[in-house]
Amino acid sequence: MSSVATIVLDASNYALILLLIALGLAIIFGLMNVINLAHGEFLMLGAYTVLSIQMAGGPFWLGLIAAPLAVGLFGLVIEEVVIRRVYHRVLDTILATWGLSLLLKQSIVLVFGPGSHSIEDPISASVMIFGAPYPAYRLFIMAISLLVVTATFLFFFKTRIGLAARGVIANRNMAACLGINTRNLDRMTFSLGAALAGLAGAVIAPLISLDPHLGLGYLVPAFLAILVGGLGSIMAPVVGAAGVGVTENLAATFLSPVYAQLIVFITAVLVIRLAPGGLLGKKRRQT
Amino acid sequence: MDKPVLELDGISAGYGTGLVLQDLSLTVDRGEVLGIMGRNGVGKSTLLKTLMGLLKVRSGRLTFSGHDLTNAPSYRVAAAGVGYVPQGREVFPDFTIRQNLIMGNLKARNDDIDAAMDLFPVLRERARATGGSLSGGQQQQLAIARALIGRPALLVLDEPSEGIQPSIVREIGTTLKQVSAEKGMTIMLVEQNMDMITQCCDRVVFLEGGRIATSVPAAQLLESPALLNKYMAF
Ligand SMILES: Nc1ncnc2c1ncn2[C@@H]1O[C@H](COP(=O)(O)OP(=O)(O)O)[C@@H](O)[C@H]1O
Ligand SMILES: [Mg+2]
Repeated sequence: MSSVATIVLDASNYALILLLIALGLAIIFGLMNVINLAHGEFLMLGAYTVLSIQMAGGPFWLGLIAAPLAVGLFGLVIEEVVIRRVYHRVLDTILATWGLSLLLKQSIVLVFGPGSHSIEDPISASVMIFGAPYPAYRLFIMAISLLVVTATFLFFFKTRIGLAARGVIANRNMAACLGINTRNLDRMTFSLGAALAGLAGAVIAPLISLDPHLGLGYLVPAFLAILVGGLGSIMAPVVGAAGVGVTENLAATFLSPVYAQLIVFITAVLVIRLAPGGLLGKKRRQT
Repeated sequence: MDKPVLELDGISAGYGTGLVLQDLSLTVDRGEVLGIMGRNGVGKSTLLKTLMGLLKVRSGRLTFSGHDLTNAPSYRVAAAGVGYVPQGREVFPDFTIRQNLIMGNLKARNDDIDAAMDLFPVLRERARATGGSLSGGQQQQLAIARALIGRPALLVLDEPSEGIQPSIVREIGTTLKQVSAEKGMTIMLVEQNMDMITQCCDRVVFLEGGRIATSVPAAQLLESPALLNKYMAF
């Protein structure tokens, strides 16, 4: 039986990774109204970027830096080539991003094969926390997630471009009529969201077994997190990821991973029934 | 004679498959304050939305300060120098007054924000209040200041007096006259309020059947009740 400290740390770990993923989903949805079904595959691309660099003999840390850059750049291209042509039609964005996710999975199968791969532990040391050893790499994950999430929030809440982006989330037409370049913001947002997913994929790569289908297991809880937190708010993923992440992780520890997913799903459905706008969601403007 | 600052040439636009504006032509001279009148539902807001790039131009041409802005995205229209105060104001309810003003010009410096607040002192008194907590009249003043902080060459306003108490309507009218006189700003004012029209405008056009039906000097308006009956009565 693991110690309380370990359980709490593992749950926080998972919740923070989920937050990186959910934050990207939420800002893309908030600004562009795009439900990005390929977000899980962006995460997968991040993990496979680390794998490629490992296969080429490069260090893990290079992969960790390269992954968000590569996936962010990829997001920029996808926005230009696909998303901007469909973003005002919700159904089309769902179909287009779903198609993209299939395409990415197939491409990974072609290049890396359908089997699974693993990434070597970048830090094998452990740290004693309340008398129990805890992997130092997991502490590193928590630190980097916190850092990146904080930086993202500072960007949105303390800079003028961040203000403009929040203005577009609140009222896209009015923001555009005031001269806010919505085209550039869309590019930036989609790319930033993709980069966050790529980073999440890279940091978790050493903890998981890499296969072309790994994205889905993260996409679903990330979606639940933004639904529970409330659509159309950038703060919502914090609440949602904490709720979903901690619930799932604790249930997996004490019951089993299968029950965990069931419990998270049922709890999320209940929350969304009781508070349709999500925990932080605003009531829809009445018209 | 200068070229007109704004030229709409045979514009058609509307919603879905229906056209609200049909072959509408209008020119606005530099420095002019133009009133736009017409019954409810005749297409005044549609005209301004089309100018702002919020509605597609189905046919015709839209030229502003020598730039062809036909079907340009809204941010390019704004960047070309058009400031827009929409019907219903559309201030950002969760942003403070200061943040709302910055939305009007991301590069605004403190003295730009000060100058915008000088236009309407109530904005300075309540600088930290959120847009949503303001009264309708205060929101209208904020929306106008937000449009002006971008230093537009053309300011367009959609029924700024709607639902606002008379003292604030007069204050807004005075401010519009002042910016037009001091800065030589061109203004298009959609209004139903006769006092405001006569207080501010040089010329008035009436919209009817999807196009401009008549254009008269504002001074003549009071002496021609027949015009008002024809284009404004229900
Ligand atoms: N969003 C919309 N969708 C469909 N029709 C609309 C919309 N907005 C306005 N209309 C219609 O377009 C016509 C002109 O409306 P509008 O330009 O708002 O009139 P005005 O501002 O002169 O009162 C009206 O018949 C109105 O019903
Ligand atoms: Mg109107």
